[in-house]
Amino acid sequence: MSTQIKLQSSDNVEIAVDRDVAERSILIKNMMEDLGDGIMAEAIPIPNVNEPVLRKVIEWCVQHRSDPPSSADEDTDSRKKTTDIDEWDQKFMQVDQEMLFEIILAANYLDIKPLLDVGCKTVANMIKGKSPEEIRKTFNIQNDFTPEEEDQIRRENEWAEDR
Amino acid sequence: MSHPRHLTLHSDETTSVSSSSSSPERAVYDDTDFFTQRNDSQSSLGVASLRDMTMSSSLELEHRISPVSRLPPELLISCFSKLNSSMDLRSCMLVSKTWSRNAVDLLWHKPLCNSWENLLNVVQAVRKEDSYFPYFALVKRLNLSSLKGQISDGTVQPFTCCKRIERLTLNECSKLTDHGVVSIVNGSNSLLALDITGLDAVTDHTLGAVAEHCPRLQGLNITDCSKVTDESLIAVSRSCRHLKRLKLNNCTLITDESVTSVARHCPAMLEIDLHNCRQITDESITSLIARGRQLRELRIAHCSLVTDNAFLELPKHLAFDSLRILDLTACHQLHDEAVEKIIETSPRLRNLVLAKCKDITDKSVHAITRLGKNLHYIHLGHCAQITDAAVIQLVKMCNRIRYIDLACCHRLTDASVKQLATLPKLRRIGLVKCQAITDRSIMALAKINTEVSLLKSQAHSLLERVHLSYCVHLTLQGIHALLNRCPKLTHLSLTGIQGFFMREDLTAFCREAPPEFTEHQRNMFCVFSGPKINQLRDYLNNEEHASIYDTEGTMYDDRDAEDGEADQQVTGMMHATGLGGVDDEDMNDEDEAGEGSQCGEAPDS
Repeated sequence: MSTQIKLQSSDNVEIAVDRDVAERSILIKNMMEDLGDGIMAEAIPIPNVNEPVLRKVIEWCVQHRSDPPSSADEDTDSRKKTTDIDEWDQKFMQVDQEMLFEIILAANYLDIKPLLDVGCKTVANMIKGKSPEEIRKTFNIQNDFTPEEEDQIRRENEWAEDR
Repeated sequence: MSHPRHLTLHSDETTSVSSSSSSPERAVYDDTDFFTQRNDSQSSLGVASLRDMTMSSSLELEHRISPVSRLPPELLISCFSKLNSSMDLRSCMLVSKTWSRNAVDLLWHKPLCNSWENLLNVVQAVRKEDSYFPYFALVKRLNLSSLKGQISDGTVQPFTCCKRIERLTLNECSKLTDHGVVSIVNGSNSLLALDITGLDAVTDHTLGAVAEHCPRLQGLNITDCSKVTDESLIAVSRSCRHLKRLKLNNCTLITDESVTSVARHCPAMLEIDLHNCRQITDESITSLIARGRQLRELRIAHCSLVTDNAFLELPKHLAFDSLRILDLTACHQLHDEAVEKIIETSPRLRNLVLAKCKDITDKSVHAITRLGKNLHYIHLGHCAQITDAAVIQLVKMCNRIRYIDLACCHRLTDASVKQLATLPKLRRIGLVKCQAITDRSIMALAKINTEVSLLKSQAHSLLERVHLSYCVHLTLQGIHALLNRCPKLTHLSLTGIQGFFMREDLTAFCREAPPEFTEHQRNMFCVFSGPKINQLRDYLNNEEHASIYDTEGTMYDDRDAEDGEADQQVTGMMHATGLGGVDDEDMNDEDEAGEGSQCGEAPDS
């Protein structure tokens, strides 16, 4: 079994995780490599991520602990079906928007690229096929264009309507 | 037409655009600083100014009301980059100012010019004096090839202000002349790839401009630009030192002078295609291989002046480990000595095309066996001297072969095909005009072993494309069995096989014969592809059920009876794959559009 290390959330909660799980985060992995095993005695502070979000991220890392490392050419392969998300991840991402964006921010900060990807795809799926007004409603965004500006952008980008 | 107004208006954006990256995922309109400023003001200064406080609290309020606003631009852009329709990106542009700023780069990275109407709209936006964004500076990829003949020198004038284009694709826009192409190329020093395939009016003038203005060029495709000469190509080779991919197909004026200059000056070359550059001789080939230590792909089909010496003159004891793909189609002066030398110096070849190298014999094939598991793709069509013994040896030694073509190797018999059928990864097989082969070969390919039941356990064949035209001994029963055992089949050519082209109920599933075919050829033409394969299979299966024991099928009656269930399973699976793979199949069809002759197909890239 893997040894355990401790992570400390921004609200000062310590969470113990298996080292291989924590090392899904490239940030933590690099930190462990740089600082050596000595660091394991103390909790690693994760100043940008609070406890509920950190627990959620760890849940993802546990599920994906034995995923093969993603290869460089995966990006080009996946271009075709960019918004396909596997079933477990879809369920995992069924959270309120606040949590969704916190997960994305945390994945970015902790450098967990596949989780960041799933997060971005989830957002993209929330956008797909919607009109601008429906998107604003979905994300509660204020329309700060003047009618003239909106009309201008609409006209200048008319070509993009064609799929 | 210039747009100095934009450059001053959006000065900060445009400078960051020019910072050389080709990726659209950069935070061009980066206001992340805003966030860090807020944190700084809270932590480092004991008392924040009133303005900061109201700013930060209003920001927090915004975050609470609209959580998406927490995402800094680069993450919002990452989300947008997962959208693959420009329609969705356009909707994002209209949501709010922030969204607009972060979506515009992605949307205009590659404006869609797939219809005349769209093109006009793009052109209007690009040339507009007071456009909302400086679109002209955002275009990185421009592809006008879907409008082909409609594109004239006048059409492309508005794009001359797009000086940040990295990929310019104008292939088959055959009305274009030097004037149009040069006006875009002038000043486009970000250009990385230029494709002007089929612009037969273009001359040295265009390539001269490329040499002058595009020092970063990495890919150049001037296929069918038959007026281009050594003069401009030498200039390109001297100034575009980063060239990696070069296609000169049918540039028949090109000689050794420019090709050796390319070899000398462009050490990064990865792929070069000299298809039908008929004046090319041994000197070019030797220097390209000897100097191009990274060269991965070399195609010299129909360079008929090339002789054995091109390879025999290669420096001794050097190995060209990078070379993976070598196409020597119709280099008919080549002999076994050259092939032996090629294999000796390029041990990691993966694709080797020797079609129509008519003088090569079993000796070459024995040399090729030394490639072992590196060999994935081998084309020996029209190498008519090859015998079963060599093919059997080849299969034994190179068991990773996925593609093999042995068209018109008329000495081959069922013995070869039985061996070929044991290749575990075989996807495509070409046996056009191998007239000695019989249904026994087909049974072997279908993994139906009539003698030993060793292969019984093996579920079904992975074959996707099978070319059997003019294998005149094959029967309907054999092909039917093959269909049922190859659920992944997407292409099956059976031209000239009597059991098929004589039956109108079966040719109903056949695709159209190419327009250039004569009536006689049309009558014989019998090629099935894509979903039609499934329909043909279903039809034959239904027919079989209707007349349970077809009197013609004597040879396989026992098998039919005992395999009825298995066949049905396979057919059932086929429905599933058929549904899932429609797109892929369509794409395969496209690949093949040019495959007029039944002897083999264009090598995969």
